[in-house]
Amino acid sequence: MSGEEYESDMDYTDSDCGDPGYDDYYNNQQWGSEADNDIDSEQNKKDPEYAIHECLKVEEVERLLNENVEELSNRLQITPSLAKVLLHAHEWALQDIILKYRNDASGLLVTSKIKSSHEPDSSIALRGARTGTCLVCVNTLSLERFAALTCGHTFCKDCWCMHFEVQIIQGISTGIGCMAQDCEVLVPEDFVLSLLTKLTMRERYQQFVFRDYVKSHPQLRFCPGPNCQIVVRSKELRAKKVICSSCKTPFCFRCGMDYHAPTDCGTIKKWLTKCADDSETANYICAHTKDCPKCHICIEKNGGCNHMQCYNCKHDFCWMCLGDWKAHGSEYYECSRYKENPNISRESVHAQAREALKKYLHYYERWENHSKSLKLEEQTLETIKSRIHKKVMHASGTWIDWQHLFEAASLLARCRYTLQYTYPYAYFMEAGPRKVLFEYQQAQLEAEIENLSWKIERAETTDRGDLENQKDIAEKRRVTLLKDFLEV
Amino acid sequence: MCWDALDLWRQGLIMADLPRRIIKETQRLMQEPVPGISAVPDDANARYFHVIVTGPEDSPFEGGLFKLELFLPEDYPMSAPKVRFITKIYHPNIDRLGRICLDILKDKWSPALQIRTVLLSIQALLSAPNPDDPLANDVAELWKINEGEAIRNAKEWTRRYAMDN
Ligand SMILES: [Zn+2]
Ligand SMILES: [Zn+2]
Ligand SMILES: [Zn+2]
Ligand SMILES: [Zn+2]
Ligand SMILES: [Zn+2]
Repeated sequence: MSGEEYESDMDYTDSDCGDPGYDDYYNNQQWGSEADNDIDSEQNKKDPEYAIHECLKVEEVERLLNENVEELSNRLQITPSLAKVLLHAHEWALQDIILKYRNDASGLLVTSKIKSSHEPDSSIALRGARTGTCLVCVNTLSLERFAALTCGHTFCKDCWCMHFEVQIIQGISTGIGCMAQDCEVLVPEDFVLSLLTKLTMRERYQQFVFRDYVKSHPQLRFCPGPNCQIVVRSKELRAKKVICSSCKTPFCFRCGMDYHAPTDCGTIKKWLTKCADDSETANYICAHTKDCPKCHICIEKNGGCNHMQCYNCKHDFCWMCLGDWKAHGSEYYECSRYKENPNISRESVHAQAREALKKYLHYYERWENHSKSLKLEEQTLETIKSRIHKKVMHASGTWIDWQHLFEAASLLARCRYTLQYTYPYAYFMEAGPRKVLFEYQQAQLEAEIENLSWKIERAETTDRGDLENQKDIAEKRRVTLLKDFLEV
Repeated sequence: MCWDALDLWRQGLIMADLPRRIIKETQRLMQEPVPGISAVPDDANARYFHVIVTGPEDSPFEGGLFKLELFLPEDYPMSAPKVRFITKIYHPNIDRLGRICLDILKDKWSPALQIRTVLLSIQALLSAPNPDDPLANDVAELWKINEGEAIRNAKEWTRRYAMDN
């Protein structure tokens, strides 16, 4: 895959009036979420959670699939329609199919449901056709009104057509089977299309077939973005991040959900199901205000940073655990880690249930809090942006001078996103030295992220070099954690 | 079944403009009924059948008469008939609502199958309950861990719900 696949999404063509400059340029970047396009694709490629991929339009996917179909059809001397059944049944592994075909062609055709496992015989259906009576509609018809599949099962064309329509209405396409009882043979595309008369049905059939082909192809995945037609192709076949070039939706290539490194697809699904099931229990912890642990004045959280400073007594503390901020980031940092009761197995069932809930809430609270911080940091950035806009308009500095700040914000979002997804990972992790290492790295990442967030909130007074430095540290922590724990 | 009923039904047929396939099947069901099964089309709707299945010999359902309803959907025979027990029955593959767990009524349906084959399969299901593919979980559970008690329950339900009514 080469760089030219990452087309620039910056559209210069419509900036032909009014203020053609900076606004368009900056609005095209999605601050706070991901500013992923060709600008930082080089950096993406080095990111351990990023899968190299290309974004294909429907026609391009069709071309790709057809190349495979043609090649298989030529190599094995079979119809393209049968080649499609074979490819669909074998996850489009062309070489594999050719090998299997050379070893045992007949066996392959049977397991792929192209050929019947019994020889075509004088089954009831055949006998019916010989007498000119279709066994499904019991109409007596002339012989040219009948059609047979490779299994020999013969029914009238009208019945085949109705059978196809009923299946298509249920969303079935590549899975349409023979009408005879206990016959496993699948109806190939050319047979369906030769008998399906209604145009709308043919169109629907072809759409469903395409959908099935893409779903059966390990290198392809539909973009989950709303109304997006893009199919993402990656040869990495891993639970890594890909980004749709058209609608900009980032997602996990393997499961198609929001990407979730370092957690794997199965674990994140388990975690999200658990959160949905326990949403009522978890709701009460979503507090927006807490009391300062020192002077007890009520403090509202309106930024993403979890390093809080009381506006009254200037005490620095952690929003999550209310501990002194000075202790955070040190070896003894205990905020992200959950300390399990080592004697819990000897406690009562009640106590164990309480402990299980406490543990879940610990992780849930942090998961939820970082998700909120992501949104709050996005808002903060909007505010900073408008302030800088004013400055530039009043000729104090240029947009380029502030570019580093937007880069820092983008990086912060990326780091915090990973941090958020470290919590489900830790929740399901077995206790042991690996978990100790994970939690150590998680704590380090968390501390550096909060430092970065703190500095960005105060960007206009922060030294640029200091900010750049903090950026590098946070990113290094993120990459290290992913390299050590992302098992995809 | 008396022939008057059949005639009446035939008249209704012409009005309803039924597919030939349904007419043929109905005629055959009336003229050569399956032993132990009666299936009579409703006077008002030729796609709706009143079915009575006799509990098979040597099964816990022996001696019972089980009422079912069978409906042929618009796209029959491309889609399977809809069948449901109306009489309460204690069986691992039939749930409280009378719904039946039978592969040929779902994914194994073939347009070449008939009402007759479906009813025969249901009769066979009464002779050979399959607790490994359950619909009524509590019944299946008991059937597996204590077959004797399950069979006693089935007999008791048969006596209570499927006799003398
Ligand atoms: Zn067949
Ligand atoms: Zn026919
Ligand atoms: Zn998209
Ligand atoms: Zn995934
Ligand atoms: Zn803390």
